[in-house]
Amino acid sequence: MKQGVYVRFTFILLIVGFMVAVQYNTVQKPESRDTRDIWEIRQELSAEKQLHSELLSDIREVNETITKYENLQSESPAQALNETLETLREKAGLTIVTGPGLELVIEPSLEGIALGETISGISPDLLVRLLNEINRFNGHDVSIDGKRIIHSSPIRDINGQTTVNSLNVRTPPFKIRIGTETMEDAEKLYNHLQSSMIADDFFIDNLTLTIEEPKDQISIPAYDQPIENNYLKNTSKGD
Amino acid sequence: MWLPLLGLILGISLGLLTDIQIPSVYENYLSIAVLAALDTLFGGIRAQLQHVYDDKVFVSGFFFNIALAAGLAFLGVHLGVDLYLAAIFAFGVRLFQNIAVIRRMLLTKWTERKGTID
Repeated sequence: MKQGVYVRFTFILLIVGFMVAVQYNTVQKPESRDTRDIWEIRQELSAEKQLHSELLSDIREVNETITKYENLQSESPAQALNETLETLREKAGLTIVTGPGLELVIEPSLEGIALGETISGISPDLLVRLLNEINRFNGHDVSIDGKRIIHSSPIRDINGQTTVNSLNVRTPPFKIRIGTETMEDAEKLYNHLQSSMIADDFFIDNLTLTIEEPKDQISIPAYDQPIENNYLKNTSKGD
Repeated sequence: MWLPLLGLILGISLGLLTDIQIPSVYENYLSIAVLAALDTLFGGIRAQLQHVYDDKVFVSGFFFNIALAAGLAFLGVHLGVDLYLAAIFAFGVRLFQNIAVIRRMLLTKWTERKGTID
């Protein structure tokens, strides 16, 4: 008799506990309200629209490749593959790129020289900041002091020396070359860099950033080191 | 003695771990159901201490009270009368009474036991 009572109480308490816990969950985590105002929503919308158009152009590009393959299938598939390979190598930064672009010159500031301050190298943080600024505005191919930046290029401090791709960056002066798709993009990037705050950041470090006029022919060296690929794996056929 | 406590802990952890949330519209119903369940529970404990406990009354009371409370709240919403307040009031008063009775009986038991030891 006694045992039966306990079992029933246990069962009822189980249900009570469950209900209390569910109630607690509900009270503790109210659904997050949408508190964005109209401008934030507009911005999000424009970002999504941009993504949309980018995706569309990607699709077009891929479709072109497919048509090319289909056209060339009877003639020479190897040539089509080679062309694709070349495009991919170009995208990965393994080829020399020649085209419109601009040059940035980083020099020690005149004030620093006049006051006789020691000229130290550029800090990796500043370099990363500059690179982000460039990437934000369609700078496609970038080389820093002759070292090509690819998707996995490290910019870091090794034993007090700033390095790009594990190679030392010279103490200023040195040049940064930026390649863009079109001359128009180069102009835009030029204007953007002129108006950005990045030059002020350089001045704090006793450096000056000179942005030269866009040129229609600029050559950016290829990435010449092996690409390490530790995490990507081949998928098995049919996946 | 520990079995019911284990059940409670099990129930709470089950609820917290499954992370179930009910829509806020039905929050009222659940809160009133919890209240009804607690009322029945303490009623059961009191009955047990008073030696008038009956399985059928306890188990049927549990489910019936919950259903009634939720049904009353539902009716109230549709009639535009806050009937769930009535349920909360009734259950609240009974809860306090039951707990008071339980406390008194436990106190009596305790004093009795103390008397025998002395």
